[in-house]
Amino acid sequence: MTELLWGAWQGWGFGQSSFNVVMGLIKGLLVCVFLAVNALFLVYMERKVSGYIQGRLGPMRVGPKGLLQTAADALKLVTKEDIIPSGADVAVFILAPLVFFAAATAIWVVIPFGPQDIVQDLNIGLIYISAVTGLSVLAILMAGWSSNNKWSLLGAMRSAAQLVSYEIPLVLSLVAIGMMAGSLRLGDIVAAQQSGVTSWFVFPQILGFIVFFTAGLAEINRAPFDLPEAESELVAGYNTEYSGFRWAVFFLAEYANLVAFSALAATFFFGGPTGPFLPPFVWFLIKTYFFIFVAMWIRWTLPRIRVDHLMNLGWYVLIPLALINLGWTGLYVVLWG
Amino acid sequence: MAETAVTGQLKQEATTPAEHELFVNMGPQHPSTHGVLRLMLTVDGERVLSLKPDVGYLHRCFEKIAERRSVPMVVPYCDRTDYLAAITSEWAYVMAAEKLMGVEVPERAEYIRVIVGEMQRIASHLLWFGTFALDLGATTAFLYSFRERETLFDIFQKLTGARMLYNYLRVGGVRNDLYDGFVEDMQRYLKLLEEKLIEYNNLLTGNRIFETRTKGVGVISKEDALAYGASGPVLRGSGVPHDLRKADPYSVYDRFEFGIPVGEHGDVYSRFVVRVQEFYESIKIIRQALKDLPGGPWQGDVPRRMKLVGDVYTRVESPRGEVGVYLVGDGSDQPYRCHYRSPCFVHLQLLEPMGVGHLIADMVAIIGSIDIVMGEVDR
Amino acid sequence: MFRSVRDFLSMIRTALVGMVITFRNMLQPSITIQYPDEQLDVPLGYRGIPVLLSDEEGNLKCVSCELCAKACPVNCIEIQSHRDNKTRKKVLDVYNLDSTWCMYCGLCVEACPFDALAMSDQFELASYDLPGLVYTRDQLAAIGRRAITPTSGIRETQNFGIKTGGAKR
Repeated sequence: MTELLWGAWQGWGFGQSSFNVVMGLIKGLLVCVFLAVNALFLVYMERKVSGYIQGRLGPMRVGPKGLLQTAADALKLVTKEDIIPSGADVAVFILAPLVFFAAATAIWVVIPFGPQDIVQDLNIGLIYISAVTGLSVLAILMAGWSSNNKWSLLGAMRSAAQLVSYEIPLVLSLVAIGMMAGSLRLGDIVAAQQSGVTSWFVFPQILGFIVFFTAGLAEINRAPFDLPEAESELVAGYNTEYSGFRWAVFFLAEYANLVAFSALAATFFFGGPTGPFLPPFVWFLIKTYFFIFVAMWIRWTLPRIRVDHLMNLGWYVLIPLALINLGWTGLYVVLWG
Repeated sequence: MAETAVTGQLKQEATTPAEHELFVNMGPQHPSTHGVLRLMLTVDGERVLSLKPDVGYLHRCFEKIAERRSVPMVVPYCDRTDYLAAITSEWAYVMAAEKLMGVEVPERAEYIRVIVGEMQRIASHLLWFGTFALDLGATTAFLYSFRERETLFDIFQKLTGARMLYNYLRVGGVRNDLYDGFVEDMQRYLKLLEEKLIEYNNLLTGNRIFETRTKGVGVISKEDALAYGASGPVLRGSGVPHDLRKADPYSVYDRFEFGIPVGEHGDVYSRFVVRVQEFYESIKIIRQALKDLPGGPWQGDVPRRMKLVGDVYTRVESPRGEVGVYLVGDGSDQPYRCHYRSPCFVHLQLLEPMGVGHLIADMVAIIGSIDIVMGEVDR
Repeated sequence: MFRSVRDFLSMIRTALVGMVITFRNMLQPSITIQYPDEQLDVPLGYRGIPVLLSDEEGNLKCVSCELCAKACPVNCIEIQSHRDNKTRKKVLDVYNLDSTWCMYCGLCVEACPFDALAMSDQFELASYDLPGLVYTRDQLAAIGRRAITPTSGIRETQNFGIKTGGAKR
C-alpha cells in the first residue's frame, strides 16, 4: 500500500520528505476516524452493557435497537449552547479539552494495529507511552482550575494525585515488558509474542499484568477509580462546568483512552494483533474489545474506592508489587530468556 | 431568597474560612444529598473541618395544614411527609386520631396494618440500600434493589391502588380488605426477596472496597446517640437495642416474635448491617401475620361526626426511627394542634459529630447511612 | 486500609464474586417494559383520575350534592348546578377537576353517596398547556362512560365494586 503510494508520489515528481508529511497526515486522519467511530460505538456499548447487567435494555428508541442513540446524542451536544462560566479563565478553559484530546490521541502513534501497521514504530515506544499518558493530568488540572468551580478544583486535585501515583507502577510494569522483549519498540514486543499463546507475556508477567490493569484503570479514570469525576461526591468533578461540544470532546477523549488502554493491555500481554486464521486487525479488535468489556463490567459492579485508600493502594501495594515483578522479570530473562 | 437573621448569621460564620480552608456548599443541588439538603462545609483539601446542615427547602406547612383539615383529609398529607414510608406516617397520625376519638380498631385491620407497615419497611429499606450503594458508586446494586422494590410496589398497587402514596389507613381500620390472592403474592415475594438479599450481600456487603468505605466512618457513640435523641437504625447501630415495636408495642406487635438487630461500633457499617438484618426481621413478622390473619371486618365503627377531645402523643417505629404525632383536639373534627416528630430531622444534628474530620467522600456515606428523607425533615 | 497485599487480593477476590453476580444477571431477561409500545395491566382498584359515571341511559348519576368537593383535601373540584324547575332535581352544569391539584387520594369517591364518581385507570394525563389539565364535566363523563359500554380497544374502567370501608354512610 505504502509502496504503491510512494511510486505514484514519485511519478508526480515530489520528494521523500513531502511524502512523509502527507502519509503522516493520512495516518493521523485514519487514527482519528478510528477513534471517533470507536468512541461512538463505545458509548452505545457501555449503555447496552450497563443496561443488560442491570436487568434493563439500554437505549432502544432511536434507530433499530437504539443504534443511532449516540448519533442523536452527538447531534444534541454539538447544537447545545456553549457556556463559559463568567469567572472562568477563558483561554485555559477552552484549551483544556483540546489538550486532553491531544493526549488521548497521541498514544495511538505507537499502537500496533497489525504486526507492521503502526503509525510510527518509535524505537522508544514504551517511554513515549509513559510520557504521553502523563499529559492528560495537565489537561484535567487546566479544566479544574479554569472552571472557577470548587468541585472542579477538588476533582482536578484528586486527579493530579491519582495520576502521579499510578504513573509509577504503570511505568514499572512497562519496564518489565521492555525487559521481556529486549526492546522498547512496540513492533518488537508484538513480534516477541508471535509464536502462539504460550509466548504471550501474560504468563510470566501475571503479576505485571495485574499491576498494569489496576494502575491502567486508575490512569484512565475508570471505575472503581473514577474519583476525579465521582458523580455522587464531586458532582461531576473537573468537567462540572463544561457543556455542549467541549464536554463531548472530554467524553470522546475518555473513550479514546479506554480503547488505548485496552489495546495496550492486549499488545503487551496478549500478543496484540497476532493470532491464527483471522487477519491481524480483527484479532486486534477482538482482544481490545475483550478488555473494554472487562473494564465496563468492572465499572458496573464495584463501588468507588476512597481517595486516601486509592493513594495507599498505589504506594503501599502496587509499587512494591511492580518492583517485585521487575526483579522476577530480571531473573526470568537471565534464566530462560 | 430574603436573608433572615438566622441565615445571615450562618452565612457569616460559614463564609469566613482561614487561608488554607475552602468553603463549599454541598447541596441543595448536589447529586447525593437525597433531595434538597444543603451542607455548608469548610474543608481543608478534602477533609471536613466544620459542617452545618441547612434545611427548609421542602417546607410545606404540614402541621398548619393539618389544623385546617378534618381527620380523614389529613391522611393523604401524611403520605407526603415521609414519602418513602407513607404507611408509617399515616399510622402515627391515624393512631393519634383513634385515641382521641376512642375508636376501637378491629383485629383484622390491625393485622393488615402490621403487614403493610412491614412491607413498607422493606420497600423503604430497599430504596435506602439502593441509594446508599449509589452514593458509594455502585450503580448496579441500586438498580437491583429498585427492581425488587417495584415488584413490591406492584403488590401495594393491587392492594391500595397507588404505588407510593397509598392513603390506605383510615381512622378505625384500613381503606379496603386484602384482595384475593394477596397472601400467595406476598409469600412468593418474600421468597424472592430472601434469594435476592443473598445476592445483594455478595455483591455489596462482602465487597472489600465497600467495607473499607464504611467501617470506622461516621462513628457515633451510644451516649451521644442517646443524648442527641437518635432513634431507629441509627440508635440501634450504636448498640442500643431500642425498638418501639418492642419498647412500646403499639397495634398487635406484641404478638409476634422478632429480634432487634443491634450494631456494635456505631459506624456507617453498623447501621448498614442493622438495616440489612431488619429485612429479615420484617420478613419474619409478615410471615407470622399472614399465618394468624384473623377474619372479620377491616373497618371499625367510627362516629359519623368526628370529635377530637384531649391530647395524645402516639409514636410508631418507621424505617427511619421514631415517627410521632402529637395531636390536640378541641371538640371539633379538626385538630387544634398537630405536631409531627420527624426522626430524620433529629438525625441531621448527628451529621456534625459524625462527619467532622472525615473526607467529603465519607460525608456522602454518612448522609446515606442515616437514610435521610428531606420531605420528612422539612415537612 | 489498602496498605497490604492481602487487602489488595481480597479486593480482587470480592470484586470477582460481584462480577460473577453481575454477569449472571446480564444473562437473565430484562425487566424493562417498553412503555408506549407495551403497557402493564392496571390492576383492579388503581387510583387514576376520578371520573363521573352515568346510568344505563347515559345520564350522569351525579346529583350535585357537592359532598365530593367538601371531602377533597385540596379543593380541586369545582361544582356549579341549577335546579330544574320541572323535575325539581339539581342539574350539574360545571364539574371541573383540576388534575394539577388532585392527589388521587380517592376521598371524593368514598364520600359520594350515589356511586356517581369512580377512580378510573387513566394515568396518561399529560397536556401541552395548563387549561388542558383541568378536566371538565363532559371529559370526565366521557371517560366514565367507557366503563358502562365497553367498546373493543378501550380498556375498561375497572374500578367498580371496590368496597371502600371509609368512615362514610
